[in-house]
Amino acid sequence: MLISGIKSKPVYSPLEADTRGRYHLMLAIGGAATALERVLGQLSAADPDALTRSRVLFAPDRGKAAAGSATATPATAAAVGFFAAWPQLDVRLYPDIPALLAALRVLLDESLMGTRLYVAAPESFIGRAVQLALEFNMNQDEIRAEALGSLARRVHCIHCRTTTEDVRTNIVECGGCGRWLLVRDHYSRRLAAYMGVMVDAESPGERPAVQEIFP
Amino acid sequence: MSQAQTLAVEVIAIEQVTPLIKHFTLSAVDGAELPAFSGGSHIIVVLRGATRIYRNPYSLLSSPHSLGSYEIGVRRMEESRGGSHFLHDQVTVGSRLEIAHPVNLFPLAKTARKQVLIAGGIGITPFLAQLEDLHDGTAPYELHYSVRSPEHAAFLPRLREREGDRVRLYFDSESQAIDFDGLLANQPLGTHVYVCGPAGLINRVMTTAQRLGWPDSHLHSEQFTAPPTGDAFEVVLARAKLTVQVAPDRSLLESIEAAGVEVPYLCRGGVCGFCQTRVLEVDGELLHNDHFLSDAEKTKGKSIMPCVSRARCKNLVLDL
Repeated sequence: MLISGIKSKPVYSPLEADTRGRYHLMLAIGGAATALERVLGQLSAADPDALTRSRVLFAPDRGKAAAGSATATPATAAAVGFFAAWPQLDVRLYPDIPALLAALRVLLDESLMGTRLYVAAPESFIGRAVQLALEFNMNQDEIRAEALGSLARRVHCIHCRTTTEDVRTNIVECGGCGRWLLVRDHYSRRLAAYMGVMVDAESPGERPAVQEIFP
Repeated sequence: MSQAQTLAVEVIAIEQVTPLIKHFTLSAVDGAELPAFSGGSHIIVVLRGATRIYRNPYSLLSSPHSLGSYEIGVRRMEESRGGSHFLHDQVTVGSRLEIAHPVNLFPLAKTARKQVLIAGGIGITPFLAQLEDLHDGTAPYELHYSVRSPEHAAFLPRLREREGDRVRLYFDSESQAIDFDGLLANQPLGTHVYVCGPAGLINRVMTTAQRLGWPDSHLHSEQFTAPPTGDAFEVVLARAKLTVQVAPDRSLLESIEAAGVEVPYLCRGGVCGFCQTRVLEVDGELLHNDHFLSDAEKTKGKSIMPCVSRARCKNLVLDL
C-alpha cells in the first residue's frame, strides 16, 4: 500500500567532510555521534586549523537528563568520551533535543556564509534540523546528513494539519483529528514531516492491520 | 525562439548618459503594454543593418512594475562587430526595432536573507531592475558599483536618489577598489551574491567567495559574451545537408541562420545553453567561448554553443 519511488523521500549517505567550507557546524544525537568520526578526520587532515572553526552540538536520543546535569545520561557520557579525541573541538552538550534546537537557532542567526551543517542523527531529528536551516536559507549544498537509529517518522495529517511524532507503524491515528492515516513516503522539508492521508476515506472502517514498519 | 515571436517597438527616447553609454527607451509600436518581466531579465534586440542582421542581448534596466516601455543601456564596444555601433550611430528617436520577449537568466533568489549586488561598469544594468524588486522586499541588500571614473558611472543620480547609502561606489580613477575579502568574509548565513560586469571582476568575486567557503548555490553571475571574431571556417550541417561558410566577423549561429536553418536560442551570449549543438565530426580545435559548458564538456568536444564559439579546423560537422 505504501507507494514507493516518491522523489521527495530524503536520501541520506555516509557523512563526508566538505573541505570547501570555512566553518563546520555538526549536530549529533545519541549514539549517531560516532558518524562524525570520518568528518573530523577528513577536516583535520585537510587543514590542521579546521577543527578550531568547527563546533559540535550534542543531545542524547531520548529522555531528559537529571536536572542540572547535561552529562547524566549514558549516551552523553559516551559522547564526551568520544569527542575527547579532538581537544580543539568546541563540543556543547544539551539535555535534550528541544534544548539543542533552541541553541541551533541562536547559532545559525550568528553564523556566516561559508558554514556547512552536518547532521548525524535519527531521521526525524535530521528533518527538524534541516527545517531550521532552511529558515536561514541554507541550501542543499551546505547541508549533509546521515540517518542512524530509529526510522520513526513525524507524520503531518493532510486533513487537519497536525503533526504526530514518533510514528513507527504503517497507519496511525492522527493526534489532532483522530482519523486513521496511511503514512506515505511523500516528504515535506518545510514541514519536516511525511504526509499522512486518511486510509479509510472510501470505505469507512476498512483498515489494514497495524504493523510496525519504521522501527 | 523564432523570429515570429518578436515584438515591434519604437525608440521613444535616447539619452547619452556617459561618454560610452546610451540609454534607450522603447515602447510597443501598437501602444500596448509590453510583456511582464522580473529583475535581471534581458531582451534580444534585432538590428537590421544594410548588409546583415545583428541580434544582441541587453539587460532590461527599467522597473518591472512599469510595462509601458522597456529601457536598456548600451555601451559602445571598442571592438564591436557592429551591433553596439549600429545602436549608437544609426538608431534615432522614432526608429523601429524588433525585440524578443524578455528572458531571465539572472534572477534574484527569493528566499535570500540578504542580497549583495556587485556591478562593474555597464554590468549595472540588470541590477537597476532588480533594485526595484528589492526595494519592495524585506531582506536587506547593498550594491557595490565599481566603475572607471565618475563621468563613466551610468545612472548614478537615479541610484543615489533611490538607494542612498545602500550604494557604495568605487572609482578606478581615484584608486578605489572593492575589498573582496572584507566584503565576503563576514556575510550572514543565507546571503546571496550577484555579480555582473567584466570577466576579471566576476572571476575575483567567484574565486574569493569560493576560498571563503561560499557554496555555488549562493553565487550568481551574468556576463554576456559578444561573439568573438576569428578566422573563417566551414561547417557542414548534417541533417540540413548544407555547407555553410563562417566569415571572420560573423558568429557560427549567425552564419547558420543566414543559411536558413533555425537554431533555438535565448541569450546569444554563451550563458543560457539553449543553442547547445551536438558535434558529429571535427578534425581540429573547437574554440569554446561560452560560460555554459563545463571544462570537462569543453575538453570532450561533443557539444558546441554556436552563439559565441568557433572552430579552427578543416572539417566540422554539426547535428543540425
